[in-house]
Amino acid sequence: MRRLLALAAVAVCVAVVIVYQTNRPAAATPNPVVFVPSPGFYKNFSPSVRATLADVYWLSTIQYYGEHVKSDHRLDSLPAMVRLVTSLSPHFTEAYFFGAFSMIDVGRPATAYALLQQGYRANPRDWRFPFYLGFFAYTYASGAHKDAVAAQWYADAARLPGRPAFVARLAAELATKGNETQTAIDLWTQVYCQGDKYARQKAVTALDRLLPTDKVAREKAVARLEPAVPHALFAQFVADLFQGYN
Amino acid sequence: MRVAAVALNTFRETIRDRILGVIILFALAMIVASLWLASISLGQEDRMIKDFGLAAISVFGLIVAAFVAASLVRKEVEKRTVFIIFSKPVSRSEFIWGKFLGLAATMLTVLTGMTVFLFALAWMVAGSPSGSLLLAGLLIFLQLLVVMAMTMLFSTMTSAILASVWGICVYAAGQLSHNVLSLSRLGHSEVTHVLSTAVFFVVPNLSAVDLRAAVVGEAGHGTTLLAWCAYLVAYLVIALFAATWIFARKEF
Repeated sequence: MRRLLALAAVAVCVAVVIVYQTNRPAAATPNPVVFVPSPGFYKNFSPSVRATLADVYWLSTIQYYGEHVKSDHRLDSLPAMVRLVTSLSPHFTEAYFFGAFSMIDVGRPATAYALLQQGYRANPRDWRFPFYLGFFAYTYASGAHKDAVAAQWYADAARLPGRPAFVARLAAELATKGNETQTAIDLWTQVYCQGDKYARQKAVTALDRLLPTDKVAREKAVARLEPAVPHALFAQFVADLFQGYN
Repeated sequence: MRVAAVALNTFRETIRDRILGVIILFALAMIVASLWLASISLGQEDRMIKDFGLAAISVFGLIVAAFVAASLVRKEVEKRTVFIIFSKPVSRSEFIWGKFLGLAATMLTVLTGMTVFLFALAWMVAGSPSGSLLLAGLLIFLQLLVVMAMTMLFSTMTSAILASVWGICVYAAGQLSHNVLSLSRLGHSEVTHVLSTAVFFVVPNLSAVDLRAAVVGEAGHGTTLLAWCAYLVAYLVIALFAATWIFARKEF
């Protein structure tokens, strides 16, 4: 009898647990505002501990982004979370890019721009930062000088190691569009010196439009570019720019 | 020669320890679990595996260092087997050094296994080998040697559990030793300042070179690697001499 009672008690307990477990909500209600500690709180920890903490917060940042981008589209705490991750691990470049594009997702381009600037200060040799800064300035900024600002960022990117060849062309195109004639001439000259046959052709066409048409004035302008062109290439450069002149 | 005999025996004893096996299995499971973390890291698999893998190696290595080192000497004393050892021509200093070297060999074996496992896993995921992982494993070994030496020193003075706790505290304090001075500067008490300065100079500096941070692309501190390694070796030798000195004066 006692054994039967014990078995019945166990069966009831098992039933209660099963009913509770199968009926619990699969996910907690996401809260758009979460507690994010100040980066200063961790500043005295050793770099190893800070890097590990950055990775832990990186995982929770992604989880936070995923939860809210699927539901209420509110990412109130995301800037603070990304700031914490990047302060703990300033060379964690992907965190800056993820944070910047997420901010664009929720319509905060100014925050995205500031985040990329912070990343560029910490990683001045990474061409992607000025490249994306240029892209954001061109796409989201307003005002008469936005092309010139974007061109300046692309020009910065074009000077850094590892950048693709098209970055210099983009910078030159934007400087031309922004009426920054002298900057555009310098950038197209750079494209001519560093590019392939196709890039040179584009550079010659653009320089032809930008340089004065008068022969004497053009000679003066091209002479000013001589230090920027490798010695072996200069004769070809002059020949390309003076096609059709006697 | 007698030191080598004690060391060899300690190595055999510790490597056969079931607890050690369980800890190693758990550590390997944690390293493999970092694969799961990597899968939810949005393209940061390589970084996550290296970082969490090295953190797992450090934590489980610390558990081995603190708990096994604390029980090595105490166990011999409590089981009275120390009398059999000292009935042979083995001095107390040879006993301490032999025990330490034996455990160091065990620790080297364990850490080598875990680091090579992590190295292979990271290679598999990232597609390219990371030599800095192996160097980080070696530096973790050096840090843990200091913790082991300090734990053995404590175990000659107090119980095994307390020695383990103190060993873990030394590791934590060694990671944060520079904070002690920073915190003391916040107050105006001269006594606190003197005390914290004393603590700063006594606690081993275990965070001067941070290869774990360097492995994930963050630069470590400025101290040169070789100088830091020499400092750690010197520190553990002092700790072992202190342990020998205390153990030599102990009445059983």
